[in-house]
Parts: sequence; C-alpha cells; structure tokens
Amino acid sequence: MPTDPHADPAPPPVTTPAIALRGVQRRYGRHLVLRGLDLEVAPGRVVALHGSNGAGKTTLLRLLATRLRPSAGEALVYGHDVIREGHLARGRLATIAVFGGSYGTLTARENLHLATALRGAPTDALDEALGRVGLERVADHLVRTFSSGMRKRLGLARLLLARADLWLLDEPHAALDADGQALVDTLVHEARAAGTTVLMATHETERSFDLADAVLRIDDGLLSRVDAVPT
Amino acid sequence: MNDLYAVWLVARKDLLQESRSKAVTVATLFFSAVTLVVIAFAIGQDTRLLREAAMGALWVALAFASVISAAQSYQADLEDGAFDALLTTPVPRPAVYLGKLLANWAFMVVLGLVMLPVTIVLYGAEAGPHWPWLIPTIALGTLGFALIAVLYAGLTANLRARESLLPVLMFPVVVPILLAAVRASGALVGIGDLELATGWLLLLAGFDLVYVVLCTAIYHFVVEE
Repeated sequence: MPTDPHADPAPPPVTTPAIALRGVQRRYGRHLVLRGLDLEVAPGRVVALHGSNGAGKTTLLRLLATRLRPSAGEALVYGHDVIREGHLARGRLATIAVFGGSYGTLTARENLHLATALRGAPTDALDEALGRVGLERVADHLVRTFSSGMRKRLGLARLLLARADLWLLDEPHAALDADGQALVDTLVHEARAAGTTVLMATHETERSFDLADAVLRIDDGLLSRVDAVPT
Repeated sequence: MNDLYAVWLVARKDLLQESRSKAVTVATLFFSAVTLVVIAFAIGQDTRLLREAAMGALWVALAFASVISAAQSYQADLEDGAFDALLTTPVPRPAVYLGKLLANWAFMVVLGLVMLPVTIVLYGAEAGPHWPWLIPTIALGTLGFALIAVLYAGLTANLRARESLLPVLMFPVVVPILLAAVRASGALVGIGDLELATGWLLLLAGFDLVYVVLCTAIYHFVVEE
C-alpha cells in the first residue's frame, strides 16, 4: 500500500546518508524514465526496490553506480556526487548486474583477480570467495562455459571481495537455483550485520519483505513506499 | 591502487582475451593480407609504380586493421555487462583508456612488423640500408591509429551502426598520422633518405603526443552515458 511518496525508508540519519537523491530525473531521448526522485537511505539499511519491467529500477541503480548521468537533480553516494566525484563514489560501492558482469574468455579466478585488483582490494581471498559461492571446482574454467546461474554466483563472489560499503544489486536472485537464492539471502543478512547498505531491485516480492528494512516501489518514474506484501 | 598497475591490468586482460579467442588476430591478418593483394592487383604489373605504392598500401591495410582491432576489443567487453562492471570500480577512466590502448597498440605493432616484409616482397620494394628505422616508424604510426581507434570504438561500441560509423569518424582524424607514416616509411625504403624520414618521424611523434593527451583527457566523456 503506497504511502508518502517522498518518505525516507530509514530512520533520521545521524551520519551522511549512504544514498541521497534530490529531484533526480533521467531522460532517454524524449522519454522521462525517472521523474524527480527524492530518497535518503541511512548506512547499514537494506532497501528493496520493486517495479514492473521498464519502470526505471535498473536506471536508478546504474545512475547510483555512476554509469548514467542524471538529466536533472543530484545523486550522492556517502556524500559523493555521482558525477563530480564519481571515482570517490565508486570507491564505496559494488554492483552485481543481471547477467553477472564477467568476461567469458577469462577464468572465474582471473575475473575475480581483475575485479578485486582494480578495486585495490587484497587478492588473497579469491579461493575462499569462490568456495563460498560454490564455484571452487570450476575456478580455472573459462566463464563462457558457465551457466547463467554460475555467472551470477561469480558476481556474488566479486561482491564479497569488493569490501564495499554499498551494494547495488540488480535482480540478485534471478537465474539462481534455490540454494543460490538462499545464498543471496544469507549474504544480504551478513551485509546488514556488517553495516553494509544494500539497495536491490527485485521481483521477489515476498522474499524482499523478509530481507529488507524498507520496500520501495517505482511506478511511472516516481518512488513510493510499500509497507506490506500486496494481496 | 597505483594507476599504472590498473593500466597494466586492463591491458593484460585484453591481451589474455585475445590470446584465447584469436578473434582480432585472424580477422586483421586476413584483412590486411587481402587489402595488400587487392591493391597490388589494382596497380597492375608496373613494377616501378608497385614499388612506389608499397608503403602507402601497407599503411592503408594497417589503418583498416586498427579499426577491426579496436572494435573487436570492445565487443568482448560488452558481453554480459563486463565492461560496465569494470567501469563501476574506482579505476580512473584514463587508466582504462590507456590499458586498452596499450593492448591494441602492442597488437598493431606486431601486425605491422609481420605485414612489413610481406609488403616488401609482394610489391617488389627494397628494404634499403636504413630498414631498421622502419621499426620505430611502425611503432609510432600504429600508436597514432590505436589512439584514435580505441577512443572512437568506445564511443560507438553501443551503437547499432558501429561498423560503418567507426571508420567514418576515425579516418578523417588519422589523415595526418597516415600521411606522416607513409612519407616516413616511403623515405626509408629503397636508397633511403634518413634525414627526410627523421623529419616525418618527429612530426609523427608530435601528432601522437597531442592525441595521447587529448584522447586520455576526454575518454571519460566517451564512456559516460
């Protein structure tokens, strides 16, 4: 049930918000996808983002990940403007895309090494991360031989190694089997316990009410808060 | 993290991918060879004309090969959103550009060094006493091509008309590089005029320097959406 569309899903922040959106718009040609979003998410909160296909969930995540410029308004990640201070914002966040975001002609281990080293994070825990997501036996296989679920698991391993303060997850449960989906839930719970902020776009309605501190819905380019599983 | 290390990581990634897929190697080798043969056929049996056209044909083949090389390196990146993931790391955009440039340039230098003797034999040219200077000429000329190709291939990577748009955008900008490279290598083959070639080589190095500063500075506009 939508309530105040500009509601803050988190308690009043005492520190710099992990995510701050002020009048954010994003336009593709003449089509206004995001119509002026306002949002603050306090550090350590888990927020789920619902919405139909094409509603703007991925656009919002890509905008926060500094991959898209807002057409108007301001988007901040831990106080860093995603445009003017993009590199500082990127230093605080890690993403997982729908398709996993790995190179098919590299092995799982090489993909993880590349992503981790580029972040300047230690690369001595690659095997541990691969084991955590169940890919230890295929660590030296080329990713192009992986199923979509295995690629998603590799994305989860990259997320673990990033040691980021903010996770931006685009349909993290998609393409995963039941074990994989449970793994995502566990990782999100652990992230919250460790103080990591999570914003995840998902179609897993019931699951996200169990996982998230707040559930938002994006419709017609505007955000609203959802307090219960729609019936 | 050290930015130079990031440059190396990106370059190593591109070279590792190419060593496994061979996509660029096969395409550019065959394309360059076919270009050289077609131009030779078009010139005909006039041996003097063939000798004079040899270096021009080589650089035309390398210019087209640089388009294929750069475009293909982005195609591999775009699979499964891998490049997007790379761009969400805190690596500075210039480091990404320089890494991709380094890989493309290394590949183009090797291709140029393979195609040089093929051209000399096919066109009946003489390497001449100053032939070692052809190596820095290949290095500087292919650097110029790679600088522009990697920038524009990044710009057009997401476009449907990228195959036709990339050469249209790139070739007007590489004309100074092409001209200087053809003149420098043309002055070196045969009897050879090292003094003339040195002047063109310095000009080539100057163009490269300008382009490397310019392209590195504007690359972040290219990869932002």
